[in-house]
Amino acid sequence: MQQHDIHQFLKGYFQSTECSILEEGNGYLTVQLTIDQDKELMNRPFYWHYLEKVGGEPNPASLTFITNEQRAPQDIKGEKVHFGSPRLHQIFQATRRFGSAIRLYEANVARSTHNTALHPWLNMNVIVSYQCDHKRDYLLSLGIHLITGNIIEDFHELLKGQALTPKIPDFTFTLSPIIKPKSGFNRLHQYIEKHIYEDDHSWAEEAKERWQQDLDLLNHFYEDIEEKPSTYDIEKKALQDQYEPRISVNVVNGGIFYLQEGTVRTLLQRKMA
Amino acid sequence: MNVPISFDHEWQDLFLKSFEEDGPWANYDIYQLAYKVAQRTAVPSFHDLQAPSYLADLTPLPHQLEVAKKVVTEMNGKAILADEVGLGKTIEAGLILKEYMIRGLVKKVLILVPASLVSQWTIELNQKFHIPAVAQRKSYVWEQCDVVVSSIDTAKRMPHRDIILEQNYDFIIIDEAHKLKNHKTKNYQFVQELKKKFCLLLTATPVQNKIEEIFNLVSLLKPGHLGNQAYFEELFSAKNRKLENDEHLRELINKVMIRNRRQDTGIEWTSRKVETIPIHFSEEERALYDAIESFKEHDNPSSAFALLTLQREACSSKEAVYMTLKGMLDKESEEYTPPYPLIETLMDRIGNIGKTGRNSKAEKMVELIKKIDDKVIVFTEYRATQMYLQWLLQQHGISSVPFRGGFKRGKKDWMKQLFQNNVQVLIATEAGGEGINLQFCHHIINYDLPWNPMRLEQRIGRIHRLGQEKDVHIYNFATSGTIEEHILKLLYEKIRLFERVIGNLDDILTQLEMKDFEEYVNDVFLHSRSEGEMKLKMEHLSSIIDDMNDGEENAANAAT
Repeated sequence: MQQHDIHQFLKGYFQSTECSILEEGNGYLTVQLTIDQDKELMNRPFYWHYLEKVGGEPNPASLTFITNEQRAPQDIKGEKVHFGSPRLHQIFQATRRFGSAIRLYEANVARSTHNTALHPWLNMNVIVSYQCDHKRDYLLSLGIHLITGNIIEDFHELLKGQALTPKIPDFTFTLSPIIKPKSGFNRLHQYIEKHIYEDDHSWAEEAKERWQQDLDLLNHFYEDIEEKPSTYDIEKKALQDQYEPRISVNVVNGGIFYLQEGTVRTLLQRKMA
Repeated sequence: MNVPISFDHEWQDLFLKSFEEDGPWANYDIYQLAYKVAQRTAVPSFHDLQAPSYLADLTPLPHQLEVAKKVVTEMNGKAILADEVGLGKTIEAGLILKEYMIRGLVKKVLILVPASLVSQWTIELNQKFHIPAVAQRKSYVWEQCDVVVSSIDTAKRMPHRDIILEQNYDFIIIDEAHKLKNHKTKNYQFVQELKKKFCLLLTATPVQNKIEEIFNLVSLLKPGHLGNQAYFEELFSAKNRKLENDEHLRELINKVMIRNRRQDTGIEWTSRKVETIPIHFSEEERALYDAIESFKEHDNPSSAFALLTLQREACSSKEAVYMTLKGMLDKESEEYTPPYPLIETLMDRIGNIGKTGRNSKAEKMVELIKKIDDKVIVFTEYRATQMYLQWLLQQHGISSVPFRGGFKRGKKDWMKQLFQNNVQVLIATEAGGEGINLQFCHHIINYDLPWNPMRLEQRIGRIHRLGQEKDVHIYNFATSGTIEEHILKLLYEKIRLFERVIGNLDDILTQLEMKDFEEYVNDVFLHSRSEGEMKLKMEHLSSIIDDMNDGEENAANAAT
């Protein structure tokens, strides 16, 4: 993520959490936090606890973020925010939490003589990580049609151009899922597992080899010592932490999307074209 | 495939709860941002370095990138970085650390460096790498901050030691790691007890004397890599083999150590040819210098500094002295009475020199420039001298341009352009700050010398830098029987400043923790009651610097 993206990201985050942008210029951004965002980001529970106890006037902080030190005015005071900075990661995490679950309906449904049925789709976006002493991630965005069980990939990108609304539009009604969300998730898990199994996992075999090699060396180093010192166990643990292959599937977010029967098909066709 | 897959179920449970309770639901904007965050923070490949694209302000050199890549992809994140001084080990370490942090494999980091370098490391990691490193000053820092820089001496002491050993570090960096050569020391045992998942040991001098030292260092990083103590002793030490003679051992060590020599970096490091050119005052010039000296003995100490300056100027040009005297007269006010007797005497002496119309040093310079018959940079400390020299060169049909620190960026560039394309000589009063590279020139005349070795190094660094293809010639002018000669002979030549390699001096002065070198030298000249005392003090200073340097050089040679 480049500094420019970070600037846009921060702006987007604060706008969608209803904080007001007090000032914005080249390479910096000043925002007035809401009470909720102050509690979220400022890490001062005692202040809020005290305030609520005595019923004082709440005074949420305003923050200035410097997203580009070279371009920001010299005299401006604020937090430098960059990829890897604790503040940005804190906001990343908050974004993931606030943007964790959603329910949306297809908007702009044409009015017809009958009310239009909207079909439930369950969306789940996950990061799959292959991790040893190296690491690789990829995203899977899956959507399952809770009527037919049909699963499609790239669901998130597919819906990007589609108008959606958080309130059910007039003259529409939602079909109840035939597949309950819980079993929808199970089907998605199976799908992901299958996806992973079919992938190439030489990386894991290689990591285990490296692990074994280092472990052999370690054992050799301590072989003449009958009562192994604590450093032996520390090193052994370190090697495990370093090399042990692991795959983790972490959910980014997900939601329930009510769409007209033909919408997904149309979007897929448009994508192909 | 038998790699366990762990699914995160927590999210699903929360979602189902929302689904049943009809909320709360996120808005679509932040939902999309969350997806974007995941996209941007995902690491797309096992091996390609991510760090460089996150570091807009840093342009690592090719060998530095290569080191980073090798450590991450081939050495599994455990290595001894042993580049020669001045090749940027800190940059390499920063790149590697950044890479692991981006990949999410490293969060908690401990960086142990000499006390004098704690701030520098902290600043570099923050500024160059956007890594929020914190210098350890309070004991809660260990637990609360993810990236901590500390001196090993602090870290190993209680109560810090216990707190540190409780932390679960992902990454450990130890600078000046050659200090951990002895496995019986407290420092060594302390580092041994740290959990080293990923670890970098930095040293320019990995092997100083004994072969056990490298064994100890490697065993700290990767126990068993060189066998165990008994095995190693039997195989290598017993036969008293030397590291450089043993191909097998060297190969093993190369698996955990990277050592770039200057010549391997693809960077041309040409040599410095240094020549001291003695200047002999004319009778009239000597009279001016001595006149200042005589005032020095009688005058009150408050003007001693001014007299010292005048003496230095007298070694440069009568114009420089004149400008200073004129400045004294111009300053006249109710609070300040210029030293009339001094000014009168010196003006008289200057007049005498004027009658001869000669400047011994400048004449020598003209002669030398004609002989060099190539581009030359002349450095002087004084603007008056600068102007005089420009006039003088013009009289001899030699083209020149001036260069001053005070010039605006555009004018600097223009002067540089003129120097590169049109004229033979650049007369500079300052090294001109960073960013001006004059590698197309191979000759420097130090018409007079600054009293700060760093400034001298910067002067030379203008031309002796990456990209210089020829040997660099440095001519030092020193007027016999003056303080100028003392500085050159007692300090600069003693510490072999001019032959030194780039970066080396930097390291040494940092180690000395000498904040203002120039002030110290001034002090020596001002407060020494005799020439003997002055020489003794200068000797002392140069021997400190020299000792440090010898240590580094011997070690570097031994490691070859």
